[in-house]
This record gives sequence, C-alpha cells and structure tokens, in this order.
Amino acid sequence: MDDTDRKILNLVQKGLPVTSRPLEKIAEPLSLTEDEVLERLRRLKEEGIIRRIGAILDPRSLGWVSTLCAARVPEEKVDDFVGVVNQHPGVTHNYERYAYYNVWFTLTVPSWEEVGKTLAEFSKKTGIDELVHLPAREIFKVRVQFEL
Amino acid sequence: MIPLTEKEKAVLRELQGDLPLVKHPYAEIAERLGIDEPELLKIVRDLMARGIIRRVGAILRHRKAGVKANAMGVWSVPEAEVKRVGRLMAEDPDVTHCYQRDPVAHWPYNLYTMIHGETEEACERIAKRLSEKTGIASYRLLFSTREFKKESLKIIT
Repeated sequence: MDDTDRKILNLVQKGLPVTSRPLEKIAEPLSLTEDEVLERLRRLKEEGIIRRIGAILDPRSLGWVSTLCAARVPEEKVDDFVGVVNQHPGVTHNYERYAYYNVWFTLTVPSWEEVGKTLAEFSKKTGIDELVHLPAREIFKVRVQFEL
Repeated sequence: MIPLTEKEKAVLRELQGDLPLVKHPYAEIAERLGIDEPELLKIVRDLMARGIIRRVGAILRHRKAGVKANAMGVWSVPEAEVKRVGRLMAEDPDVTHCYQRDPVAHWPYNLYTMIHGETEEACERIAKRLSEKTGIASYRLLFSTREFKKESLKIIT
C-alpha cells in the first residue's frame, strides 16, 4: 500500500458521489485517471483491504433495532455457540473478549420483540443461559471511517 | 417513515452488495434492474435524503489497512456524570464509537468506547489518557482475542 492508495482509501471511505461516473470525484483531486483509480481499487479489494464498496444502510431509519449482546460460554462450548449465533443474518460482528462475558456480538433485527425471541432461541439451541443484551441508551459517537 | 416501494427494495438489494468496479457502476446496475440510469440515480439520491442509505462508499478491513488493534473500553461512570463523560470521550479522535448502556448482572459498566490504535499498548495509552481527562478510574479494556464474524447487514432480503 502506498500513499496514493491511502489517499484513495480515505476518500472512498467518506463516500462516492451518486453520479453516473462516481470515480471522477476520486481521480480528479489526486491527478489520476479513472482507470488508474479503478485498477487500484480492484487490487485493494483483491488484497482484502477493502471489504466492500457499496451502500451503507441505516437500519434504524427503517425502524430496526440494534443491540450489543454478551454471553458467558465455557471454553469447550464456544465453537458450538458461535456456530449457532453466526447463522443469524442479523449478527454482523462477533468477537471473543476475555471477561465475565466472553462472547460479544451485535444483533440487528426489525423489533425489540424480535431481539427477545432471537436470544431465547439461541439459549434453547445452545444451552447457554447467561446471555444478556445491552441496548444503547444514548449514542455519543459512531464513526466507521479510518484516517490512514 | 415512508415504506419502501418494490422498486426501492430492488435497488437496495443491489446496493447492499458490491458496487461494480467499473466507470459507470450505476448504468450496470440499472440494466440489471431493467430501468434507466437517471431513474436509478434519482432513487438512490432519494433513499439518501431519507437517511436509509447513509452513504455509498468503502468499508475496510482495518486490521489489513494498518489499524491493527481495537479494544472495547468499558467504564463505570456515576449516573449523573454519564453525559459529560460520554461527550468528552466522543471528542477524542481515537474513539470511534461511544455508547451509554445500562449495567447488567455481573457487569457494572455503563459507558462503552471502541478504541483503535496501532498496537494494544497504544490502546492502553489512549484509555489512560481518557481516564485522566474524564476522572473516571474504574474501567477495563477488552481486546478481541478472536474474530468470529464481521460483515455488513443485509436488511432487504
């Protein structure tokens, strides 16, 4: 990754204009051609540095709800538990973190009722009862772009 | 909240995946959907104006992009101070997310910050700085030891 890659990534993370030729807006300030930008983006995607280029949706705008879930899972049951939980399309991030609760995942579904149902189902399928969720009472900051 | 039309759902289904890496990505998507490009652009702009699409852009695997360590900082803040402390932490450029959540059994923490740094030690220094800045001494940093899943949500099926 060189400086030009970093500059491209910084711009593309902020967002592309919704126009017929969105890459023009990236190429122009960097004095590159659209083809050069395309070539670099394809490579960065191939190398796995870019996970996805597309629309970033706001589920809350459609009335959906998001919450952080935490489970206390014995070491030998972690793989089974994660296998069940990860099958749910509303689970987008899932990490092991060493603490009282050791599996931490986010769940986004159409309603709070659905949160309760989903977690009850996870417990039933996995036998893990120490499963809590921690809805945000207030959001002070959300920033998913990284200055490189 | 205006419900989505079938056409809008079809557009979102395409755009929640990958934008084709070509000069005219919307022309390609419009063709797949059987509409013309100006109509597609109008629908996308309208979905953005309504806040359903935040932006069209790139999401990185930040570990691969050089932002190596992330820590979830959990803080135990007196209820009356949560707003002040939350805002102070949110101002910090190394904090990407800052949420207030209610404590639960075995877990007394009520303020959550995602901290990103070059190394785990860097995250620890950032947390220490936040602790000194806010006066909140009761906190823990939870590093992720394994990543089980990370993907974008597909809300339209």
